Amino acid sequence: MLSKTVIDHLRRKIGTGNVYQEREDLLVLGYDATPEIEGLPEVAVFPENREGLEAALEVSRQEGMAITPRGAATGLSGGSTPAAGGMILGLTRMNRILEIDEENLTATAETGVITSNLFNAVAARGLFYPPDPGSQNVSTLGGNVAENAGGLRGLKYGVTRNYVMALSGLLYDGTEFVAGNKCVKDVAGYSLRDLLVGSEGTLGIITEITVRLVNPPQDKRTLLAYFRDIRTAGEAVSRIIAARIIPATLEIMDKTTINCVEDYAGIGLPRDMAALLLIEVDGHPAVVAEEVEGVRKVLNDVKADVIRQAANAEEAAQLAAARRTALSAVARVSPTTILEDATVPRSRLAETFAEIERLKEKYGIRVATYGHAGDGNLHPTAVTDERNREEIEKVHAFFSDLYEKVLSMGGTVSGEHGIGIAKKGYLLRQFGKGGMDVMRRIKKGFDPDGRLNPGKIFLDEGVSTGVKIPGGANV
Amino acid sequence: MSEQPPAGNFHPQDAPSYESILQCMRCGFCLAVCPTYALTNRERSSPRGRAALARAVTEGKLEFTSVVRDEAFLCLDCKACSTACPSGVRVGTIMEFCRSQAQIFYPPSLPAGMLRDFILKRMLPTPALMEASMLPARLYQRIGLQWAVRHLGVNRFLPGVLAKMEGILPTLAPPLRLEIPELIPAQGPKRGRVGFFLGCAMSLVFPEVSRQTARILSQQGFDVVTPKEVKCCGAPHLAEGDRETARRLALINIDLFLALDVDFIVTDCAGCGCALKEYEEILEDRADHERLRLFRSKIRDISEFLVEVGIRTEAFRPVPLSVTYHEPCHLVHGQGLSKPPRQVIRAIPGVELREMKESSWCCGMAGSFALKELETSRRILERKLANVRDTDADILVTANPGCHLQLAWGVRELGMKQPVWHVVELLGRSLPS
Repeated sequence: MLSKTVIDHLRRKIGTGNVYQEREDLLVLGYDATPEIEGLPEVAVFPENREGLEAALEVSRQEGMAITPRGAATGLSGGSTPAAGGMILGLTRMNRILEIDEENLTATAETGVITSNLFNAVAARGLFYPPDPGSQNVSTLGGNVAENAGGLRGLKYGVTRNYVMALSGLLYDGTEFVAGNKCVKDVAGYSLRDLLVGSEGTLGIITEITVRLVNPPQDKRTLLAYFRDIRTAGEAVSRIIAARIIPATLEIMDKTTINCVEDYAGIGLPRDMAALLLIEVDGHPAVVAEEVEGVRKVLNDVKADVIRQAANAEEAAQLAAARRTALSAVARVSPTTILEDATVPRSRLAETFAEIERLKEKYGIRVATYGHAGDGNLHPTAVTDERNREEIEKVHAFFSDLYEKVLSMGGTVSGEHGIGIAKKGYLLRQFGKGGMDVMRRIKKGFDPDGRLNPGKIFLDEGVSTGVKIPGGANV
Repeated sequence: MSEQPPAGNFHPQDAPSYESILQCMRCGFCLAVCPTYALTNRERSSPRGRAALARAVTEGKLEFTSVVRDEAFLCLDCKACSTACPSGVRVGTIMEFCRSQAQIFYPPSLPAGMLRDFILKRMLPTPALMEASMLPARLYQRIGLQWAVRHLGVNRFLPGVLAKMEGILPTLAPPLRLEIPELIPAQGPKRGRVGFFLGCAMSLVFPEVSRQTARILSQQGFDVVTPKEVKCCGAPHLAEGDRETARRLALINIDLFLALDVDFIVTDCAGCGCALKEYEEILEDRADHERLRLFRSKIRDISEFLVEVGIRTEAFRPVPLSVTYHEPCHLVHGQGLSKPPRQVIRAIPGVELREMKESSWCCGMAGSFALKELETSRRILERKLANVRDTDADILVTANPGCHLQLAWGVRELGMKQPVWHVVELLGRSLPS
């Protein structure tokens, strides 16, 4: 419990309206979008500038208090939940766009800027910031960097990491760090920048981010293909890639997902089909025309049941927006949705779909599958009810089996959601003791006292009471 | 919803159902569209946060504290989050239940409670009482006091809320309910018979607007039946947490309109339309299901109705004006009607529709919110009016009396050029006289 003196100090340094201690505030700052995981902080601070952040870190140091950075809390692995109580460090009020540098094609913003605000600001200058996670209208750039977020365009354009040029912020003891710069080439020293991207708030507090910008595509076309068998859809994806066509977007939705999305968006998706592929190719008009033909040929070859092209940009945008709602729309079906982001080499997609079907049968649970098929990143999502403990156990067993298979195929336990709390057990399986020990030494190097976002990534890190850990993930 | 088992720390009477709360999977998509979160940047003032508070109360982790109550009333119930929510959570409705809870856990002080009871349980359900209560306001305008107050700037010395109450009231004409004929026959080839649900605010504050609605319906070939016995739709009661009176009014209106033998029941008030469409839900298991379903199937907003039956535009005269359209929350989010008003506007020859940014963002009126939360309401309104100004349109069009009052007050305060019209006022200009 923080003393009144300390709270008063925080209020003076950070601003009265930026420090919360009321139970009603703390109760709603302990979750993100991950089911079953919730913590309760002792205090929450929302600094508006570097000085406020320094004060928060100082109090954390003096009080030996854990500090959990939080963006918009839209994460899907529990990364921003306060596993050890302590202090929530809200970063949404440091949200200015500081510079759009048209000579170097970069943008620099504070950590709390909303992803789509940055996208729109650079678009107004005729530039393009490609990473587009599903929650882009809410998520913060800092959160995207911390989780190395992906998105629909990941296949062709890559993920957040591929755009981060420089990061600056504060280390655990308040020391400033600058990692990276605007130089296109830079091999000086270890790449601290690349360590910080995807570090889930466990290594340092990022306050400013410089990203690389590119030219927007001149043209794009959206194709839809419907299938009566999901494995055919998987085959189509593998063949498109094998034909050396890299669409910007190559998304898959299964029947359950199609129906949930249609319930919400009402845009005329085919309810009776087993799967659909949403394919967007972009680039120079001539190349786009050629690639559309290439994709059509593949779809004809595998005998897709229906192939159609979006009539105009509006319909294409509608389709992409609808796909972004998939996870939340699936939540219509039942109170709890538990999703994973198993990722496999693309040549193994059809096999992975078959395995998902087999395991669904084995455990008798309902699973909706959708995801970024083109980059092998799937989101099998169990639709369940967290009050039904028996079924929840089955769900975790399902994912445990699935990850076994995914890892045996050379896949990864997280394509874009991060480890957080939800996937600590799986990470150990992927890296083994040796890999985890190296990571732990890196963590110690950055944060020797273990105050930055404790309870994440590493399985044996202490977690205070009051935090629910999913059963299966904890093995 | 009210028949749910144990509601944790909620009072069992009119508690939000646990299922409706659990439906939220906390993706946060609602954060981008919530006007109160946009102002406060505070999670508890967001739809996701409010649902989480309700969940904590249900799960016994939190009492129904004064903060929960305050959040329930700070919520505009604009329902923008319902539109944005892929999971189908309706936080506005959950907050309406919390407002009912507030009456139980925090009963108003005696005089305030009596006033509230008088307004909700006596005055609103009784049109004649309400009409009488507006008399002093009309008198005040008639003898020129309003002109004096506004032009001499006396209202700057009034306390904020009184100044706004004074400023927001337009020039009042006699209530339409007393003047409109029970039956206005169809003109030209008859296409059907509609019941006109004349809302309280429309009758009292915007009688000329509703006169246009009736005129348009008749001109379009419909017999227009307007029953004088109509009661308040119950929207203010739902908003204030008096579900009991809302249910009572709903039952009366259902009986009244189903007895009229009309093809459709049309309203020009988005708030009324939204409430009428919710009768089926608020009376679930309390009235005959078939009758509820039948009533629901007949309700149409005026724009929705016109687009559905097809607008006869042959005799329309051009109206050479540029307009921009503000979407009432109770139309776009409450009833999912975004296109029909625009289709009506586009059907008028000569009119140029200029889309404003964030057209579906609340104007800050939100029932009595504009009077209770003056400063917050004003800031929400300013955001709206900045978007209106950017269009440089001649006219600001909307479709709900609450928005109409708030927007008209705002443009007057800021000295903007746009008069505020209801969609039917614009359409009325196009009709042959």
